[in-house]
Order: sequence, then C-alpha cells, then structure tokens
Amino acid sequence: MANVMLEVKELTTKYITRFGEDVYAVDHVSLKVEEGKALGIAGESGCGKSTLALSLMGYYFAPLHYTSGEIIIDGRNISGMNPDEVRKSILGKEIAYIPQAAMNALNPTRKIIHFIEDVIQEHELYITKKDIYDRARKLFETLGLPAEVLQKYPVELSGGMKQRTVIAISVLLLPKVLIADEPSSALDVTSQKMVIKMLRQLMETGLISSLIFITHELPLLYNVTDDIMVMYAGQIVEKANSKEAVFDPIHPYAKGLMGSIIVPEKGLRDVKLTAIPGVPPNLKRPPAGCRFAERCKYVQPECKVHSVDLRELEGGRTYRCIFSEEQLRKAYQNG
Amino acid sequence: MKGYRKYFLNKLAWFLVTLVCAFLLNFILPRLMPGDPVAAIVARMAQGMSNSSGVQAIYEQYTELFGTNKPMLEQFFLYTRNVARGDFGFSFSQYPRTVADVLSASIWWTVCLQFPAIIVGWLIGNSLGALAAYLKGGFDKVIMPVSIFISNFPPFGMAVLLMVIFGVNLKWFPTSGGYGFDLIPSFTWSFMWSVIVHYQLPFWSIVLIAIGGQAIGMRSMSIYELNADYVKYARFLGIKDRKIVGYVFRNAMLPQITGLALSVGTMVGGALVAEIIFSYPGLGSTILTAVRGQDYPLVSATTLIITLMVLSANFIIEILYGIIDPRIKAAQAD
Amino acid sequence: MKHIIRQVFHSGKFVVGFCIFVTILLVVIIYPLFITDSPLAILGQGTFFPPGIYVSTFDSINSPTTYTLDLNDAAAVRIANKLSSDDRLAIKDWLLVAGIPEDQIDITDTKKLLDQWSSNYDPKKNIPGMTNAKRNYFVRLDNSLKGLLSAEGAIIATKNPETGILEQTGIVNQSDYVNINQVASVRWLPLGTDNFGRDVLNELVKATVVSLQIGFVAGIIATLIGLTLGLLAGYIGGIADDVIMFITNLFTVIPSFVLLILISFSIGQEQRGAFTIAVVIGFTSWVWTARAVRSQVVSLRNRDHVNLSKLSGHSIVHIILTDILPYIASYVIMALILQISSGILAEAGLSILGLGPRTTDVPTLGLMMNWAMIYQAQILGKWWAYFPVLLTIALITFSMNLMNTGLDQVFNPALRD
Repeated sequence: MANVMLEVKELTTKYITRFGEDVYAVDHVSLKVEEGKALGIAGESGCGKSTLALSLMGYYFAPLHYTSGEIIIDGRNISGMNPDEVRKSILGKEIAYIPQAAMNALNPTRKIIHFIEDVIQEHELYITKKDIYDRARKLFETLGLPAEVLQKYPVELSGGMKQRTVIAISVLLLPKVLIADEPSSALDVTSQKMVIKMLRQLMETGLISSLIFITHELPLLYNVTDDIMVMYAGQIVEKANSKEAVFDPIHPYAKGLMGSIIVPEKGLRDVKLTAIPGVPPNLKRPPAGCRFAERCKYVQPECKVHSVDLRELEGGRTYRCIFSEEQLRKAYQNG
Repeated sequence: MKGYRKYFLNKLAWFLVTLVCAFLLNFILPRLMPGDPVAAIVARMAQGMSNSSGVQAIYEQYTELFGTNKPMLEQFFLYTRNVARGDFGFSFSQYPRTVADVLSASIWWTVCLQFPAIIVGWLIGNSLGALAAYLKGGFDKVIMPVSIFISNFPPFGMAVLLMVIFGVNLKWFPTSGGYGFDLIPSFTWSFMWSVIVHYQLPFWSIVLIAIGGQAIGMRSMSIYELNADYVKYARFLGIKDRKIVGYVFRNAMLPQITGLALSVGTMVGGALVAEIIFSYPGLGSTILTAVRGQDYPLVSATTLIITLMVLSANFIIEILYGIIDPRIKAAQAD
Repeated sequence: MKHIIRQVFHSGKFVVGFCIFVTILLVVIIYPLFITDSPLAILGQGTFFPPGIYVSTFDSINSPTTYTLDLNDAAAVRIANKLSSDDRLAIKDWLLVAGIPEDQIDITDTKKLLDQWSSNYDPKKNIPGMTNAKRNYFVRLDNSLKGLLSAEGAIIATKNPETGILEQTGIVNQSDYVNINQVASVRWLPLGTDNFGRDVLNELVKATVVSLQIGFVAGIIATLIGLTLGLLAGYIGGIADDVIMFITNLFTVIPSFVLLILISFSIGQEQRGAFTIAVVIGFTSWVWTARAVRSQVVSLRNRDHVNLSKLSGHSIVHIILTDILPYIASYVIMALILQISSGILAEAGLSILGLGPRTTDVPTLGLMMNWAMIYQAQILGKWWAYFPVLLTIALITFSMNLMNTGLDQVFNPALRD
C-alpha cells in the first residue's frame, strides 16, 4: 500500500457569526489521500466544501474555528500544534492551497518575485534573493510560464496567466498535499484546460505528492481525480472511486447531483437532467435526522429522527443512508 | 516607464485645462452677476466720494488696468496680460500697497500653515483609522464615534474651541496673530519662538479636522482590504501576520492619497476660515479684509491664488500617486 | 417599502441621528409658538449680558408688597458675593504683614476672614514699601466692607415736583424681599444677549430654522442638478456623458468655496438674502451627487429589467422613472442628507468671511457666529454668544451624518462591520 499523504479523522470546524452563533460547516469529516492520488470533492455551493478546504490547512482564523478531529500529514499529526509552528513548518511546505478566486489572490501592489521572496523567506531563513530568483525561474520554466512574469505586477497578467502563476507560487516549496478550491471556475474554457493540464503535470512531475480538487464541475473532477467524495450540509454523503461516483452513485443526493449536471461522456448522453428540489438545511440549527431528508424522494419517517452513519461497502466505498445498496438500486429502477 | 510618462502627460494636460477654466471663471463670474461690483465701485469712484489723490490714483490705475469701460473681450486680454505679469493693480482697502505686495506677504503664512497641517492630519488620521480597523474592539469603539463627531464639526468651531481651551482658559498659547504684536519680523530667536508659539493653535485645529475625516475613510478601506482574497492566500502560504498587515495598509492607503487630492480643496477652505478665527496673517484674513473693504482686485487675486494652490497640490499628489501605485503604470500601458 | 423603513429603524446609528434631528426640529417648531418676540429685537443697551433672570430694579422697589424674611446667612452671602477673589487676596496680604501666620488665614472662609480683618486693620499703620494707591485701595475696601456690614437699609428718595428737593419716600431694609412673581417686569434670558443686545436663545431658534432652510434649499438644488446631470451622463452616455463628466471633473478640482466667495462677493451685500445664499450654495455643490448618480446609472443601464423595458418600447422618461430612479433612490436620499449638512456648514463659513446673508433680515447660525467672532466673544469669555451656536451646528451635522451612515449600512450591507 502506498504512503498515506493526508489523513483526516473526524474533523469538525465551525464558524462563529457576528451574533455569536455556531455554524458547523464541516461535521466529522474523515478522509485519506495516498501518494500520487487525487481526491475530488463535489457538492452544491454552500455544502461546506470550501470550508473543508480551509479546515484541512490546520491553520484557523476568525470566523473559522477548530472544534475537534485530527489532521495527519505524511505521518505527522498537526492538529495539536502551535499555530505559529503550523505557519512556519506546515503551510506552503507540507500542505498548500490554491484559492477559489485566484483573480484577486495576489497583492495587486507587489511584484510577483517580491511576493515569492516573502513566501520563501518565511520558511527558509538563510536563502539569498538570487537563489530565490533562480529557483522561481526554474519552476516557472518547468511549468511553461515565461520568466518575465516574475518581474510583473498581478494587474499586468491576464486571468489565465494569473491563475497559473498562483498555482506555481503554491507549489514553490514542493508541498506534499495541494488543495485546489475551484481553481478554474472563473476562467474561460481555454484557460480552464491549461489549468487542468498544469495540475496533472504537477502530479506527473512529482512537484506535489497528492491533490485535493474541489469543484462543482463534475466533468473536471472525473478527468482529474481518482476518488470522489460528495458532501452535503457539512457531511460526507458518499465516497467512491471517480467512475463509480459519477456513473453509479448510491446515495440519493449524489444520484441527484450527478443527474443535474451534463457530463459529456458516452454512457450519460441519454440520462435525463433533473434538478433536486428544495434547499439545503440551515446549519445554525441542523436537523436531528438525515440532513438530506427534507429533499429526498425516498424519505421514510425514521430518516428525520436519528442521525445516519456512514455505511462502508466492500472496496472502501462509503455512503450515508438508512437503506442498503440493494434497496436503493431497486428504488432507482422503479423511478 | 512609458506607462508613467503617459499618465504624467495626461495629468499635466488636465492640470493646464483646469487652470485655464479656473482663470476664466475667475474673470467671468464677477462680471456675470447682477450687482456687478466692478461697475459699482467705478461708479462710486466717479461720483467723487472722496477727493483724496489716493482714490484718484486708484481710479486711474483701475480703469487702465482692467479697462472696465472697454468691450468684454478686450477686458479679458488686458486682465490676462496683467495676471501673466503678476500685476493685479492697487489694493482698494490697503492703498498704496499693491495687491501683489499684500498677497506676497500673506501667501507664505498660509502655505506654511496649511500644507504641513493637512499632511500631518492625513498621516495621523490614516494611522488611527488603520489601527481601529486592525485592533477593533475598544479602541475602534472610542476612535470611531470621536472621529465621526470631529469630522462633522465645523472647522471654525474646532478653531474656537481650541482657542478657548488652550488660549483663553489655560493661557498656554496666544489667541491671535502670527507672531507677537510687539515684534518686527526678523531672524531673531525671540521672533522665531513667537512664530512657533503662535503657530500651534491654528496648526492643531486644522490637523484635528483632517484627522477625523481621514480616520473614517482609512478604517473602512482597511476593513475592506483585510477581507480581500490576497490576505487569505498569503496567510495560507505561511506569511506572518505582520507582513500581511503591511500589504493591507499600503493598499488601503493608496486610495486615501487620491482621496486627499479630491478633498484638499475643501480642507483648504475650512482652514482659511480657521485662519480668520485666529487672525492668522494668511490668505484667509486677507480675504476677510478684502471683503470688508469691498476690495475687488484683492478678492479676485486671492481667489485665483488659492485656486492655483489647490490645483497644484492636487497635481503634485496625483503625480506622486502615479509613482507609488504600480497599477497606474500598468493600466496606462494597455 | 415598509420593510425597508423597518430595517432602517433597526440601525442604531440611524435611530440616534434621527432622534437628535427630530428633537432639534421639534424645539424650533414649538418654541416660537410660545415666545413670539421678534428674534432681532434689540433688548439690551450694551453687549453680552450673561444668561439669567433679569428683574426690574425699579419694579422691585415699587413692588406692591414687600416681605420681611429673617435669613441668618443673608448678610454673609451678600458679602461673600461682593468680595472678589482679588479683594480676598489683598486682605490676606495685609493680614500676613500684620503678623497672622499663613496657616490661620483661609480666604474661602468669609466670616473668619472679615473678623480677622476688622480686628487687624488699622488705616494709620504704615507698611514699608506700600504705594499710595495701594493704601487708598485698602481704605476704600474697608469702607465698603463697613457699609456692607452695617444693618441700615437703603433710602429711596424722589424729587418733590414742586420744590425740586429730594425727599425720602421709602426705605429698603436689608431683610426686605419681593416675590419675583409679583414684580411687574421680569425677563428670563436663558442664553443672555449678544453683541447687539438681542436675546440669544430667541435668535438661535430662528437662526436654526433659517439655516435648516438654507441647507434644504441648497441641498435640493444641488441634488436636482446632480441627479439630472448624473442621469443624463449615465443613461444617455456618448458625447453627453463626456461633456458632463468634463464639467463635473472640472468642478471637482476647482474648490467650490472659491466659487462661493467669488459669486457671493459679486452679488454684493445688499442683494444677499438667505435664499440667494442658499441658491448659490446649491449651484456650487452638486458635483458629488452627479458623480455618484452617474456611476450607479452606468451599472444599472445594462441590467435585464432595463433592457426588457427598452425592448417593450417604453420612452426614456418612463424607463428612467420606473426602472432607474427607484434603484438609485437610496443613494439620492443619502446624497441629499449630506448636501443639507454641508450646505449649513457652507453658509456658516461664508458668513464668517463676511459674505453671508444680510444681517438685518434674519439671523442664521453663521451670522451669529460671525458677530460673536467680530466682538471677540471667545476671548472675552462670553461663551453664551458662540458655544450654543457651535453646538447646534455640530448636532445638526452630526445627526445627519449618523442617519446617513445608518442608511448606508442598510443599503450597502457589504460595508457592515
């Protein structure tokens, strides 16, 4: 079995609002990413996938707060570590992040190279500016970015170029885990392709050891990742390998989600597009039972009473429902 | 550098255009008004209200300089020529001094009082606003209402309050004038000291007013920047908070510089009135004497000088801004 | 609409500002219903009478009934009131010379001080180094103290119309009192009088009304001009936009107070009424409204509902009235509030420059301030002539700004925090 790069056990984090209310946006999430693998996280907007991305970094600032659970990166448990220690030795170096809005992710009044200097100097005390420059140039060239970008201000770069620059900066310190939070959602199709190509290249060249890719665009997930995790209202509802998750979902929500998106792949051409009626629950007051119960076609009275645990199938596939796999499949066949 | 040159030329052109327009307004506005002061004064002079040779001299000088009986266009050329020469004629109220002479005495008092005060007020105000945004909590809860109240306080009100508290009651500083009335301007220690002591109250009243407005603006700019995406990204790359705060305040400060350029006119207006309260020998007091003495050439020349000062300040700020903010060059290069 | 108003009144800042403003409005509306005197009537022969209740001395003496009250401390209070702190210090100096130890002299204890004075003062005593003037001062001081200490009353004498000789017609004893309610003429001047001898409070109320009117007129004119130009520039675009924006940018940098000074000066003192000043202020302060409205309209111009309206063949006027104005109404109202408060400040500034409305028509807050400054009320310590004026101006502008901030937070939730 390959090395486990990132293991998360029962991680729970919450937002504290201006009015002092707790919102549990990530609720007992566990996951595992092995070396050389890419994990996808899917779900509607507001389901907690972006918060999960922030929570995985192990470095919290208001309004997000850590509650419980463990994060283990390459065998090193970072959950109990002092925040400043996490900042110096973990962030960027062990685990790195590509933000959702890369358009504004760079300080507009700082040249790219100066920002790179700031980042590297934070982690390596005795490095000269010249070494930093050489290293950055080499990395940029490897990734197919012109070295002139280094001497420019973010405003001078196009959207796609900015996004690729952000990715390059994120992997400067060769992190073991890279978390990409919708890195392509604001880009045009050509730039999207470039970004996806770049993420794959990062994995192939070994600049990063594993990838967590978050998006609501399922075709992208299917193309990039090995496994897919579907989240709903702060919880994992299904986890499977990419093919099964997209073509053969078990959980009613995953089923609905896959059905609501056009996937330009063969077998799906004739699948009808269906939207899931209703809205996700308010996480300030989560329901006692299954969180999807209000919107589920197959809901039973007991669904609303007790919380539902994840069921594990053979081969490591998991889903969160009171029904067995067979019962669900039968229900889907009957429509 | 190409981008910057384009920006510079653009601003220079704009400066010249506004200057010309201000000059035109200065010429036209008084002549458009129903109760034309030029005609009124000349009429009064012509009636021979006084036979003194001084009035006669002014009258002759005036008709020659401004050619009030000539057609508008000719008047305009005369006016332009005289202004270009720096010749504004005699002052009505302070004859036989010329307008240029009166102004050259008072202009430096105003420049030396207002520009340092506005800059100091800007710096302190921005620091307080940034601190309020960063520290939040109690500091913010105290600084903000105070700033809002101060920035709504009329500038002359601040001047009066400072004068009553520190000049009249505590007697720490003199209440009026630019230097002791028993002294003659010279480069002696006693005169210098007197100038410094007289400088304090007008200076701080202008500073305080500037602080209020700037602190409010800087606070909301900083809050906006603190929530910007680049802050989150920089944090997740492990950059320490102190450095990120540095980014944030630099970026929040930049719009404040343009804000200063836009508000410098209003600030100077308020400060002129504050000068009057302290009988400071600057342009504010000059306007007051000119208005009381119905001294048309002096009012016209003073307003022109003030406009020129404000436009120049504006121009300088914009030019500096172009150097400081890299986005300007980039935007112009496209 | 109802919902928006409810939301607005949930904003603490707005409510505080609104309450202050409404209080001021109520006071200036209700006060003239009870006090109908002309605010410009000159009462006092002299400048800056301090606040207080003024009782006619003549009527007091001729009051129909006098009362005798035996108040123990009356004499002490009278003397304490009469003895200035300079006198007390002089007495202390004398006593020190007379050999009383310093720790036994307490200049705040009037009774003990007077006892010590009467037992130690000797007009014949010669103190080395004392000037003649000082010696005479002590004699006068002693005489006046004796006069105060004596128990005799003051004699009232009137001229006999036939002989022309003064004859005693009455006596006012030290223990005589009149009831202030029975004195024919009493005037309460809560804020004293100004340099012309006018009732400051009465004047202040009227001045607040006039200044608010100036603010409203100036604000409405500025808002109308700004709104029109902003709508034209933003909605029509093209050359109209270029021309309007050129003018707007021009007046952004050319300081408006310079224009104000030039125009007001040119109009001339005789022509300057409060209304004229308001119009002039309005015409020089529309710039910010025009800018704000334009940028709002530009962002609205290509919204779906506006395009739909265009496709349905509605006229420009109709589109502006139904599809654009409602969306920028909140901005326009906020701009109006700011214009009103800056209009009031502009009037005050102009008046201090001597370019305000004529003094003889109506009082304004600026004119009151101007006259107080000309007569140096601040240096003479006549706080009632300028401080209430300043406070009123500050409260008006502060309350308006609070309302504005409150509205801003409701309409632009992104700014909250």
